[in-house]
Amino acid sequence: MASLITCPHCGVRPKEEFSIRGDAVPVRPAPNASDETWYAYVYVRDNPKGLIREYWHHTGGCRRFLVVERDNVTHEVFSVTDAADLARSASGEVA
Amino acid sequence: MTIAFVHRHVLEDHITGFETKPNPHHITVPRHPTILTVLAHAGSEAAVGAALQRLDGVTLRFCGPCEWLCVSETVSAEGLLRLVREIEGASAFDHSDGRVLLQITGPNVRKILAKCLAVDLHPEAFAIGRSANMLVAHVSGNLARTGENSFEIIVPRSYAGVVFEELKEMGREFALTAGFSEA
Repeated sequence: MASLITCPHCGVRPKEEFSIRGDAVPVRPAPNASDETWYAYVYVRDNPKGLIREYWHHTGGCRRFLVVERDNVTHEVFSVTDAADLARSASGEVA
Repeated sequence: MTIAFVHRHVLEDHITGFETKPNPHHITVPRHPTILTVLAHAGSEAAVGAALQRLDGVTLRFCGPCEWLCVSETVSAEGLLRLVREIEGASAFDHSDGRVLLQITGPNVRKILAKCLAVDLHPEAFAIGRSANMLVAHVSGNLARTGENSFEIIVPRSYAGVVFEELKEMGREFALTAGFSEA
């Protein structure tokens, strides 16, 4: 596993400071979406080899949720972004 | 030549402590520091940060976005709380009794901290005046660099004993001593 994560707020930190909170790829469906859509969102996960995106919670540091883009084969970390910033930029809202 | 021997029990140091006088490596524990947690409302982070910087006798510790600790050994908690609550867009709470401040100094302080911190403390990476939340001896706390060879650690009260013992253990090779501050 990638052992050093560069937190956008705290700098380079060891992985022990973080807890991994799961896949960041699924997008929450609308409340009135079908049961199948909700079932897929809640339970169905891919198990890809290579580049993955996950939520990492910086529990030992700034306590922010981050989206870490990393490779689970080479352990290379491609990007670490604050999840709130990412959500804002996706919805077009200015921080 | 005659040598005068002094009788010294083999467990002398074990019982009274290896060092009784403060060494160059020392942990100072202020008895009643003022520690406030301050949060900035969304959008007012820069303004609140700047206003907190202007407070007299208070040092600011960065915790995360929109979050700081205000530390003072001169201003009372009530007084500081009043000052901080006047700042627009800031919410503050007094954590003086819930946090413990440890001031650690000495020429080899970085070597001591390197044994219980996993963060690069080289002056180029962690300059004087910088602070951040991190794991200190497996406990989530705040570390600040107050000088070339001096650091301040803030940990939750219930973990202070563990962190203190750990720091003492890590500082044994430099005969680290500890005591309450005189003031």
